[in-house]
Amino acid sequence: MEPLIEARSLGKVFPMGGGPVHALRDISVQIAAGEYLTIRGPSGCGKSTLLHILGCVDTPSSGTLRFDGRDVSALPDHARSDLRLRSIGFVFQRFFLLPMLTAAENVDVPQAEAGVSRADRKRRTAELLDYVGLGHRAGHRPSQLSGGEAQRVAIARALANRPRLLLADEPTGELDRANGEHIAELLDRVQADGTTVVVVTHDAALAERAGRRLVMRDGLIEREEHAR
Amino acid sequence: MIGRRAAIAALCAAVAALSSVASSAPSPAPDILVSRQLLESQQLQVGDVVSLSSDTSGANPRSFRIAGQYEPTPDPMRLGAVRLEVRMHLPDVVGLTAQSDPLDAESVDAINVVLANDDEARATVRRLMTAVPGTLAERTGNDERRAAPFVVLERFHLAIAIVTVIASSVFLLALMLMLVEERRATVGMLRLIGFRRSRILQHVLAEGVVIAITGALFGVVLSVVLEGGINRFFQWRYDTALVFVHITPGVALRSVTVAVPLGVAAIFASSWSLLRGEGISLTRR
Ligand SMILES: Nc1ncnc2c1ncn2[C@@H]1O[C@H](COP(=O)(O)OP(=O)(O)O)[C@@H](O)[C@H]1O
Ligand SMILES: [Mg+2]
Repeated sequence: MEPLIEARSLGKVFPMGGGPVHALRDISVQIAAGEYLTIRGPSGCGKSTLLHILGCVDTPSSGTLRFDGRDVSALPDHARSDLRLRSIGFVFQRFFLLPMLTAAENVDVPQAEAGVSRADRKRRTAELLDYVGLGHRAGHRPSQLSGGEAQRVAIARALANRPRLLLADEPTGELDRANGEHIAELLDRVQADGTTVVVVTHDAALAERAGRRLVMRDGLIEREEHAR
Repeated sequence: MIGRRAAIAALCAAVAALSSVASSAPSPAPDILVSRQLLESQQLQVGDVVSLSSDTSGANPRSFRIAGQYEPTPDPMRLGAVRLEVRMHLPDVVGLTAQSDPLDAESVDAINVVLANDDEARATVRRLMTAVPGTLAERTGNDERRAAPFVVLERFHLAIAIVTVIASSVFLLALMLMLVEERRATVGMLRLIGFRRSRILQHVLAEGVVIAITGALFGVVLSVVLEGGINRFFQWRYDTALVFVHITPGVALRSVTVAVPLGVAAIFASSWSLLRGEGISLTRR
């Protein structure tokens, strides 16, 4: 079966004043549809950079990336935007919810941009907020939510357009243990419901939940672990 | 209108010598109209009989009955002058100014004529000059000497307007740039969700148009509201019926056509830098 993601020899160089920074050196990885993959490693080893490239937020300096069989390593900006909108969901450490919108409106935004009808959006938003256990918080703004709740809204937003791939960068980094646990359970459920999940984390407990775990160092994949 | 205002001006001076006579006395005194200002300053009433003289000393007075009051035609050239004036029939003017010397009966040398239809001024002037040889008739309107101060004033207003617009644009832009940090996060989030740059630009421009139109309309409404107050204040201050501020539809339209593109340009300029670069670098701090 064709993998959902196929990365070959990805490299990423940031040209900086004090010489170029090699964030990624040579990364090759295949991720099957429906797989649960976690990536961990010391700070600055290139985890976020890899996630951004896998999520088509950034482009690699070298190597190729195929998404669902299609070469996306050199797509123009608008095509990458469309891919992100419809096929990829992103969750960040700091939630990145739009502060002036309510939880429901935050979940509504990507659907509206994708051209979903008002009635369908309404139904889907209610369904998603229920899915993350926040049906009763639909009218609240991010500032009125706890960190754990905000992150659950962010996950609901990421799932809004039924993406094939959910990417999460330190999703529990700002949360206490109980809330982190809650998010981890939610990510398990998302994967069980058929979405491919890739999580970058420092949190060993969270990393352990995945069937497949990458450990990075210095822009390279140092080793790969599999759950027994 | 023809000629100078010598006769009327003389009467203006003469009212200094004006004195009131018991109004109950039956009198064959001819009727005059008195300016509102004169009526108020001398505490006169319609129906009063007054004495007028063409001489500042009050010599050879004649009695007149006040038949009514009138509001002098506002004249920006005479702003601040208290309009103590009367209007009388032409024979009464002659009678008042030509008492001693019979030759003086010919002494009215200028009269102003108001035409019902202003467009006929040119034809009327020509007709008068041919009908009464020796008469000098000329229009008072379109007088460049009279208009010159207003041309200067208008240029001055234009200069003030330009300076105001430039200064407020700079201020607006500075304000927008201060809001950029907030927008940076919003734009970054939308880019990460998958909004195309062109779509965000559309939103930014739409928002700019709405804000700019709202602001322009607010300005027009504010100036219309203030217009009444400003006019009333200066009309009270200078005791005149002159209109000082008048927001015409043309003025309003011009303000909107200047303000809206300016507002949109300011929003666009402040957001432009945000739309360059990747979404992720926008949210990075
Ligand atoms: N936009 C950027 N510009 C310059 N250097 C960057 C940029 N993003 C990341 N880097 C550098 O690339 C390296 C990897 O960063 P990152 O992927 O964020 O690491 P991690 O997420 O594992 O902590 C770091 O040295 C970082 O400083
Ligand atoms: Mg990181």
